[in-house]
Amino acid sequence: MIRLENVTKIYNSEVTALRDATFDVAKGEFVFLVGPSGSGKSTLLRMMNRQESPEKGAVWVAGRNINEMPDSKVPHLRRNIGNIFQDYKLLLNKTVHENVAFALEVIGRPKHVIRQQVPAVLDLVGLTGKQDRFPHQLSGGEQQRVSIARAFVNRPLILLADEPTGNLDPATGEGIMRLLDRINKTGTTVVMATHDQRIVNMMRKRVIQMDRGIIVRDQARGVYE
Amino acid sequence: MWSRLAYTFRETGASLKRNITLTVAAVLTSAVSLFLVGGTFLVQRGFDNLLSKWAGGVQMIVYVSPTATPDQVANIKTALESSPTVVDTSKLEYLDFTKSLAEAKRLLAADPTTFKLLNEANLPTEFKVVPKARQLNVLVELANGFSEVPKVQKVVLARDQVEQISKLRDFVQTVTVGLSVLLLIGALILIWTTIRTAMFARRREIEVMKLVGATNWFIRIPFMLEGLIQGLIGALMSCGFLLFFNRLWTNGVVKLKGDNGFIALVVSDSFLNFVMLMVLLFGMLAGAVASGVAASRFLDV
Ligand SMILES: Nc1ncnc2c1ncn2[C@@H]1O[C@H](COP(=O)(O)OP(=O)(O)OP(=O)(O)O)[C@@H](O)[C@H]1O
Ligand SMILES: [Mg+2]
Repeated sequence: MIRLENVTKIYNSEVTALRDATFDVAKGEFVFLVGPSGSGKSTLLRMMNRQESPEKGAVWVAGRNINEMPDSKVPHLRRNIGNIFQDYKLLLNKTVHENVAFALEVIGRPKHVIRQQVPAVLDLVGLTGKQDRFPHQLSGGEQQRVSIARAFVNRPLILLADEPTGNLDPATGEGIMRLLDRINKTGTTVVMATHDQRIVNMMRKRVIQMDRGIIVRDQARGVYE
Repeated sequence: MWSRLAYTFRETGASLKRNITLTVAAVLTSAVSLFLVGGTFLVQRGFDNLLSKWAGGVQMIVYVSPTATPDQVANIKTALESSPTVVDTSKLEYLDFTKSLAEAKRLLAADPTTFKLLNEANLPTEFKVVPKARQLNVLVELANGFSEVPKVQKVVLARDQVEQISKLRDFVQTVTVGLSVLLLIGALILIWTTIRTAMFARRREIEVMKLVGATNWFIRIPFMLEGLIQGLIGALMSCGFLLFFNRLWTNGVVKLKGDNGFIALVVSDSFLNFVMLMVLLFGMLAGAVASGVAASRFLDV
């Protein structure tokens, strides 16, 4: 599903954020990206939906070299990739329902599809009954669930999560983790960057460990360290 | 499709409201600059009208009485052609009744009542004379001689009046074109800034839109619409100014009356409408393009 071939990323021709990274993620797999701050985890995720382009090497998603894709095709690539962030990136002036519907509206999905999909995905993430609240009326965990609903509402092939539990207490983070695991079990490929030792050790999924831009470990059913 | 339209208008409206100060500044600047653009065209048209009967180097007009028979007209022509050293006979032009009427229509755009009174019995026909050399005194002598030819109503010389008017026109043109270019640049910069501010205010939304796969056009169109609306409102205001000042001008010129020919400084309503239409189209286009370019420029965040 995702393949990186000798990917090197250099910011402003001085900071080497990734050096010769190569790995494969199969369809339906769950991968943790771990490593110290600044080791290149977020950069790696941003490579996968062409928010960044490599200086060397190639990134393949769903069988296509996304760096050779014309700019006009990038939106269609991104419709197949959901994104989740540590700070949720919700729109504060929109309700829960509107935040999730927004993701479908702006890619031109018809009204009746929106009316049907949004409640379904809110149900999936456990937010039924809270669709008319604004983000400031929700707990951090609930806000992250909204952001997961938004990322998943279009049923993407891939979910990219950048420290989704970073702002949450352990119990809430665990709930989010279970939700992501459930989504993964529906066949969605999930790549998740995290510092959360407990969660990585609890899940025993594949772990790719980074250090200063280099992949130092790639282990099936691995632990944090 | 419908939800897209609704989305676009909602966003555009909200954004215009949020940036009210900048929007007002952009609209007012476009109004004034477009007014100057339109005004330039109107003023030039007025001058061109005024000078049109002298176009092509014509220095002398021999008006022929409407009662002249074809033979008498031919006589006048022969008389004019008899001084080939002074008169450029190849450029000698005779405006018969139809052509003279057409010229009168253009010159009397502001005075349709007078124009309606013109007919074959009272409108003189004319010979337009292009001199060969710039010997003014010879031409003056010639003109005096021609006044004596039967059925010549009067002979009018351009003398240096035409040159004065041409100089004035060129001066006015330089000033209005210069000012309107400067103000247009100002208006475009303001529209550009409005769009940048609008995009900054919505950067979180734009970031999310890009991440979930909205196309650049989808993101850009509400901003282009915003620029288009600013340009349109500015253009509508400038059309108001144009109508108002044209009315003021027309009334002023018509009051001058008399036989001084300044009535030709007034432009026809159809030309005014044409200029206003152009100003409207140009305002909308410039607004949409400026904001579209601005939006593209700030989209790769
Ligand atoms: N847009 C950018 N411009 C320049 N340098 C950048 C940019 N983004 C990241 N970097 C640099 O690239 C390196 C990797 O950053 P990255 O954000 O990928 O690390 P990370 O593993 O996600 O860190 P954290 O765990 O703190 O989120 C760092 O040295 C960082 O300073
Ligand atoms: Mg990071």
